[in-house]
Amino acid sequence: MTEPASVIAIVAVTAITAIIGARGVRVARTPADFLVAARQVPAPLNASAISGEYLSAASFLGVAGLAMLEGLGALWYAVGYAAGYLVLLAAVAAPLRRFGAYTIPDFAEGRLGSPALRRAATATVILICGFYLLPQLKGAGVTLQVAVGGPVWIGVVVLGVIVTLGIASGGMKGITFVQAFQYWLKIVAIAIPALVLLAVVQHPPVSTVTGPAPPSFTHRTEVKFPQSEIISVTAAIDVTAAGNVDGMAHHGPFVLTKGHHSIASGATITFPAGSPAPHVEANPIMTGAAWTSPLLQLGGRPDHALAATYGVLLATVLGAMGLPHILVRFYTNRDGQAARRTTAFVLLLLGCFYIFPAVFAVLGRMEAPGLYTSGQTDSVVLVLPRIMAGGELGVVLGALVAAGAFAAFLSTSSGLLISMSGALSHDIMGGGVRAFRTSAIAIGIVMTALGLAVLNISINVLVGWAFAIAASTFCPLLLLGIWWRRFTWIGAMGGLILGGLASSIAVLLTIVGVGSSGWPAVLLSEPAIWTVPLAFLTMIVLSLATARAIPGDVTQQLLALHLPERVRLPSAADRGLVAQPEPAGS
Amino acid sequence: MTAEPLPAREVVRSQARRPGGRASTPARDDLYEPDAYGRELLTSLMRAQGGACVTVLLPALALLALYPLLTALFPWLATARLLGLPLTLLVLGGGIYPPLVLLGYWYVRRAERLEEQFVELLKEQ
Repeated sequence: MTEPASVIAIVAVTAITAIIGARGVRVARTPADFLVAARQVPAPLNASAISGEYLSAASFLGVAGLAMLEGLGALWYAVGYAAGYLVLLAAVAAPLRRFGAYTIPDFAEGRLGSPALRRAATATVILICGFYLLPQLKGAGVTLQVAVGGPVWIGVVVLGVIVTLGIASGGMKGITFVQAFQYWLKIVAIAIPALVLLAVVQHPPVSTVTGPAPPSFTHRTEVKFPQSEIISVTAAIDVTAAGNVDGMAHHGPFVLTKGHHSIASGATITFPAGSPAPHVEANPIMTGAAWTSPLLQLGGRPDHALAATYGVLLATVLGAMGLPHILVRFYTNRDGQAARRTTAFVLLLLGCFYIFPAVFAVLGRMEAPGLYTSGQTDSVVLVLPRIMAGGELGVVLGALVAAGAFAAFLSTSSGLLISMSGALSHDIMGGGVRAFRTSAIAIGIVMTALGLAVLNISINVLVGWAFAIAASTFCPLLLLGIWWRRFTWIGAMGGLILGGLASSIAVLLTIVGVGSSGWPAVLLSEPAIWTVPLAFLTMIVLSLATARAIPGDVTQQLLALHLPERVRLPSAADRGLVAQPEPAGS
Repeated sequence: MTAEPLPAREVVRSQARRPGGRASTPARDDLYEPDAYGRELLTSLMRAQGGACVTVLLPALALLALYPLLTALFPWLATARLLGLPLTLLVLGGGIYPPLVLLGYWYVRRAERLEEQFVELLKEQ
């Protein structure tokens, strides 16, 4: 199935981004030019740009997909993504802007005076951005697969190549205008289809979403299997199949018996109206009541749901401040007060956006149960317009969501790749434009290859892990660095290493399949619930034990962080710290 | 709750300095002095701002943490309905955002007022 309208929309978004980006780079060539221009950016525009860079594949596709799969409790991810900005606003935004460091490694070195800590922070930047980049690539794979058919890996490679070449050629730096444009494109692209489907297209009342499980097909439905799956059938169904089922080629009607069946990739099965939708064996069926629970149920199972909910909240609320590609945007604020106003506006913009994934999750459960059968719930935002609205309306809405989704991958993965390449080239390869380009290409190739390895994991779960690692490393570094006089670089280093290792090992163990149920599943797949306290505790205890390492200029540093600009001595106001050769996200 | 413990000491110190002073705002220079007094000024500012930070984050924490906790304690909440819709959908699908945004704007105003007071305090010298 090819959808020319969606392809055109995707190409158009990419072209517009590249063109605005290229023009912006010509206008603002040096970091100084950029800063002069950037500091005149008004708060609403700046907030749009931050939101544009922040709303990634997870927000656009992942939240709706995971909520459809595991129940409305998964909406806590969205709540946490937004609420993280309240913490950022109250504890970080103004002091960090006043301090004047451009990146977290700059902050770590400037505040605690240790080049070794800077290198540890740089490694952490690469780790977090890497985990965050994988789901963006998967999102592109899902989107292109819906738009042009074929295997998922094509989209992964296409986005990997576009972003890598864009960044390496210097033609796709996300200047403020591009990112702001991307926010408005994304909210229009998710809000209009959601509202049209809700208000214009006929569907069962939303209140019936709690109905009996499993959801059944409301009309005759063709389900495609882009990947091979084992599905579980609760009662025999007369279906029509094209492709391999249980190792036998089928072309025409046959009976899908009760029990498990293995479906080969590329197969298509058509289910009659009224039949209960089979589901992928790995994901249990949820009753309507379980599905509407406000507790997060990992894999749809109710074990330790409260701990899992708190784990996700801790990771998302505290992780938002530690995302390296977002933080750099705060320096485009004129001063600390502007940084606060911008952050409050971001909270408003995100709150508006996150209403719509919930709409897609609810409509998806009622109208697109075939996604449970094919294991493709991550694509619900993309396919629902075509499923619910036929004809031209469906095509137009489908193209709109495809464009919005691609905007999400482009903006976020560009920001991430710039941050990673900037960190790698500046702190490890010695700096310079050539090192930046080499880094961008090398990272682009490695990440694309890794992206192909995680196609079976929910987009939102992958992003959740990036947040968990950020919450276990940069969150305590920033909070203690800003608010605690007795913080030392040794404490910071210990916490960074321990928190980073613990959270990433937990995540890797989950990926290879260790601990699939009970407490191990919760503690390994939602590690923030114990790795965040571990990191804080390590930093505090180690700092207290190494009081001699408190920087001699700690008062100057704290003044730089907290003193309003109007009462500062000029030397502190102009600290500017280390100029970045590649202004990430500029 | 801003810098209340300070006034008496400030007046004495800055008056003592003024005759030989060069800067137009002596109190500002005090901040950069490595002595105990400059430190105290800074600490009072950080306390005030940190206090504002905590007073905005505590209600937010309660808002986020209580709903799952109450649901775990009272399972009927999980399937509760309001206006015919699942309560979960109304809260997590939108209702939780307006209070978060309002808390954000309230904090911005409060933090700016605190800064205003701090700047005034320095100017009074």
